[in-house]
Amino acid sequence: MVEHYLTAASSYATDIDNLIWLVTIIVMPWFFLVQGILFYFLFKFKKKDGQKAQYITGEEAHQMRWVSVPHILVLLCDIVLIFGAIRVWVDIKQDMPTPDATVRIIAQQWAWTFVHPGPDNKIDTDDDIWTVDELHLENGQTYQYKLESRDVMHSFSVPVFRLKQDALPGRVISGWFKPIKEGNWSIQCAEMCGIGHGLMPARVIIESAAAHAAWISAHGPGKLAAATPAASAPAPQTAPAPQAP
Amino acid sequence: MQFAKYVACGISLLAMACQAPAEDHSPGGEELYQLCSNCHGETGAGRPVLNAPAIAGLGSWYIEAQLKKFRSGERGTHPEDLPGMGMRPMAMSLQNDAQIADIAAHVAAMPATRPKPILDGDAAKGAGIYATCSTCHGKSGEGEQEKSAPALNKTHDWYLVRQLQNFKSRVRGGNPADATGAQMLPWVAMLADEQAMKDVVAHIQTLK
Repeated sequence: MVEHYLTAASSYATDIDNLIWLVTIIVMPWFFLVQGILFYFLFKFKKKDGQKAQYITGEEAHQMRWVSVPHILVLLCDIVLIFGAIRVWVDIKQDMPTPDATVRIIAQQWAWTFVHPGPDNKIDTDDDIWTVDELHLENGQTYQYKLESRDVMHSFSVPVFRLKQDALPGRVISGWFKPIKEGNWSIQCAEMCGIGHGLMPARVIIESAAAHAAWISAHGPGKLAAATPAASAPAPQTAPAPQAP
Repeated sequence: MQFAKYVACGISLLAMACQAPAEDHSPGGEELYQLCSNCHGETGAGRPVLNAPAIAGLGSWYIEAQLKKFRSGERGTHPEDLPGMGMRPMAMSLQNDAQIADIAAHVAAMPATRPKPILDGDAAKGAGIYATCSTCHGKSGEGEQEKSAPALNKTHDWYLVRQLQNFKSRVRGGNPADATGAQMLPWVAMLADEQAMKDVVAHIQTLK
């Protein structure tokens, strides 16, 4: 159902959605039950003429049950939630699948720089492809990302991936994603980073193997990409024009 | 009775919320400039610590052209242009050409601040180099709109040197869409090194 409103474009997006559902299904009945009891008591014990307020110590067994029974039930629900959450956490944050490629993501006030591997499929080499505000990925490939910040805290947020990872100055944070759906989706900064925080959108472009290979070959070794202004355009972008270093 | 009071209160609040909004308010250049002032300062004197140059008094046509370049991505999208990448979202936040024109007119109307030089160039050596630049930028560095050449004598020396470096490395002017920026590329080729850039900029700082 979440996917109806927000596309799931990474291999683990559905796991996150299911976890949200699990939390919702368990918490929502409790919410309505507690609110119902609260309002029931509010009306049942409202002010009545000739009746003084009572102080209840809660030491009687039938009174203590109002606390102890829900307490135990909530703890049981917590155990279910913790098991569900840990499973997703381990799969997404602890396990690092063998990546097909690595991309470097550099945040700054107020733009994103992406370093893609060139034809040698390795980053930090001469044929790297640099873009601004435009991340190109091949559909179905597992990517490791190395996230860093040039200045202050940012947060790399890709809603269709259900991914949000803080970027901290001085640290390189690794993670992974596997795009599973071709398209052109938004990237946001999800950490207040200054006056231009709301103005640093970027795009992730997930393309077929052939289209991605064509994009890479359009940026031959030694060339540096001057990104096209993708962030402001909702439609898929054409490949950035190559530019001499 | 109590219930009726609550209902009346709710209806009143709803009516207030549904009131017709005030007349459309189009922010003028001065109001729009508040966004710029965070980095460029209230007087347009710039803030070097934020990589924001002085802009007060620059030609409105030049401010307008640069804002449009930042908005379209002709400037501020090169991965090595870090301050430019910071400027771009600001230009993108302006909603239309009219707002850009308003803000440019406001900046152009500000009194130029002529910030003090901080670099150690040799103005005497730079005078010879500037003879070439003056064909477009004017003998006094006042700029010439017909040649798309902005005024040079109203901004920081460090900013001018950085832009010369950017042109030299094609960080600026290298985007095929930036036709006026590309005009500068053959001219910066004549500057042998950074010291030559500092020298010519030192001379520009002496222009009245």
